[in-house]
Amino acid sequence: MGKLWTITKREYLERVRTKWFIIATVFGPIFFGAIIIVPALMAKKSKSSQDYSNTRILDATTTGLGNRIAQSISRGRTAGGAEPQVVLVKPGDLTQAESTATHDVMNKQISGYLIADQLTLNGETVRYAGRNATAIGDMERLRSAVREAVLAKRLEGAGIDSSKVRDITFMPLRLSSDRITDKGRGGSGTVSIIFAGVVAFLLYMTIVLYGQNVLRGVLEEKTTRVAEVVVSSVPSETLLAGKILGVGGVGITQQILWLATTILMFKLRQPILEKFGVATMPFALPDISIGLALLLLLFFLLGFIFYSALYAAAGASVNTEQEAQQAVQPMMLLLVATAIFINPILINPTSTLATVMSLLPFSAPIIMPLRLALGSVPWYEVAISVAGIALACLGATWLAARIYRVGLLMYGKRPTLREMARWVSYSR
Amino acid sequence: MTDFTIEIDNAVKRYAEHVAVRDLSLRVPRGAVYGLLGPNGAGKTTTIRMILNIIAPDAGSIRILGRPSTDLSITDRIGYLPEERGLYRKMQVRRVLRFLAELKGMNARDADARIDSWLERFDLKTADKDWGLSKIDELSRGMQQKVQFIGTLLHDPDLVILDEPFSGLDPINAQALKDTIVDLKRRGKTVIFSTHIMDNAERICDSVCIIARGEKVLDGSINDIKESHGTRNIALALNGPPSSQVSTILSDRSLVNRVDDSNRYFEVELADGADPQSLLQRVLATGATINRFEIVRPSLHQIFLERVGATGVEVGMSGHG
Repeated sequence: MGKLWTITKREYLERVRTKWFIIATVFGPIFFGAIIIVPALMAKKSKSSQDYSNTRILDATTTGLGNRIAQSISRGRTAGGAEPQVVLVKPGDLTQAESTATHDVMNKQISGYLIADQLTLNGETVRYAGRNATAIGDMERLRSAVREAVLAKRLEGAGIDSSKVRDITFMPLRLSSDRITDKGRGGSGTVSIIFAGVVAFLLYMTIVLYGQNVLRGVLEEKTTRVAEVVVSSVPSETLLAGKILGVGGVGITQQILWLATTILMFKLRQPILEKFGVATMPFALPDISIGLALLLLLFFLLGFIFYSALYAAAGASVNTEQEAQQAVQPMMLLLVATAIFINPILINPTSTLATVMSLLPFSAPIIMPLRLALGSVPWYEVAISVAGIALACLGATWLAARIYRVGLLMYGKRPTLREMARWVSYSR
Repeated sequence: MTDFTIEIDNAVKRYAEHVAVRDLSLRVPRGAVYGLLGPNGAGKTTTIRMILNIIAPDAGSIRILGRPSTDLSITDRIGYLPEERGLYRKMQVRRVLRFLAELKGMNARDADARIDSWLERFDLKTADKDWGLSKIDELSRGMQQKVQFIGTLLHDPDLVILDEPFSGLDPINAQALKDTIVDLKRRGKTVIFSTHIMDNAERICDSVCIIARGEKVLDGSINDIKESHGTRNIALALNGPPSSQVSTILSDRSLVNRVDDSNRYFEVELADGADPQSLLQRVLATGATINRFEIVRPSLHQIFLERVGATGVEVGMSGHG
């Protein structure tokens, strides 16, 4: 036990002392901070560029709809925002006017143009062409402006006083969504998704990074032949266990530091955002119960042990970095396959795919925490998932320990799978 | 308590393609300096790894310091220097040594005190420079080897196992190592080392075991071994290169069984029944100037060549030493 501690301590301290660890630990929160601040800055920037004076409205309705749209667009904007230019066109000249406008967009005289015609008046279609056609926010704003204008036109047609029409139709409606789980309301839906995505991504990244770290540690001991000195003092299983525990400890330390600073930055985001001249976004930290946090930690630990045991076996079976890159491919395949499904499962966390992936031992350490962060998962599914990974951990460490203790002392050519299978059968 | 530090009985270790050690039995007396000799690929490293319980024999028994080699409590009493040497490159010297000492059950405080005295003894800590605070990869190769010796001996082991300790050493470090081995012996420790350089073994060892192709060829104390190989060897030194007549005499199989030709120095093993005097007379008759003609006991080197021969080295078996 004392020797296991000696090895764990060395693995932990030597890694925490490296520049790499310090840099990653400091830059992590800066990176997360950027994730919060940059979108806010972008939003602010795009707001100021929402100058629709560069947008041309081609009005072929002959009913003055174009002017109404222009008013709708500029209404509710910050004061001084210029209205878009309105060009009245006869329905027959529309094609000509459109091609002129296209040229003007190409020559950067205007940023885009909107065509209001009979179909628009009917409330069926409105066409827009321009450089910002892919900006979802801009397009949504145009659509609601046109909708507002058409509605106003119809109300007027129904004999309602035009000054009242303005008040009736003005409606800057915003959708705010709340998530409801078995336990009741659980904060904003968007926040949950972001949180779950961050959790899954962090788990994925940490397992890959620290799994590689275990592999490099094993390889270093093998190539420098330190391994031989160490295994003459302790059983190779102790060395393997100490290494996994030590590196895992570094991973947990880093995550706790990241989490703590990120929460701190969330708490302090108001003054920070104000420094950048951005208003605080309506963004609340998701409520993480102690139980959930512990459960996430458990999944990280199990997933890390599973993968790092395999990484250690891979490290012991090779002699150079290049060979190691090939040897890790099976593990990378499993991890990347899991990561690919993070997005679809974020969108649809109750699908069969999500359930299956959260139960399979190789993907469960990433997908189950994602589901847990998104909402409640039946307790028996969590139990099956934990039991599955725990069993897989036992199997992986048993296999890895056997490959490890033989591979550690084998130099020369890289073993074939058949040879490695034989290593497993060696008594010692 | 037994009188033997190491008792190996009928040990066998097989690998998929070959047998590394077959039916090996040997005894290492307590307090002896014991040489494990053999060509590359003879099974020396495999034997050492079995003694250290790094690998287990497929058959046979190994007892170390009176206990089975699988007894974990004895590992703290053994110091091991592997053939291929290396340490954690990015780690500070002092921390590496403390780590190695803790692996042998020492506490950090005791280790620190000993580390200082060892660093001073090996000139790694002087008035103007303490290499203990440097990282391993800032040290020269020779200094790294010294650090590794210290790591092997720091916990004051009763049994010290050195695998090819002299390979790659410069003369100064080789001398320091030899002095250390002698010092360990004087303090009652048992030292076992493997080598294929016979001159080293002959000078330092009390007893040796020669193995080839995984089998013991002979073992015993150096004196007994030399005694049993008789007095049929002659040391012959000429004052200049041998004439063709001398060469003819030395290749006469009725007189000379074998000759180790070092140009001006010859170690000659006489043929059965041949008389040393007739060799001397025939060489003198050629007019050659003789600087030395002495009936000697055979060198370990000669015995090794005689008993193992060129066939002792099996091709393609060098992987495990």
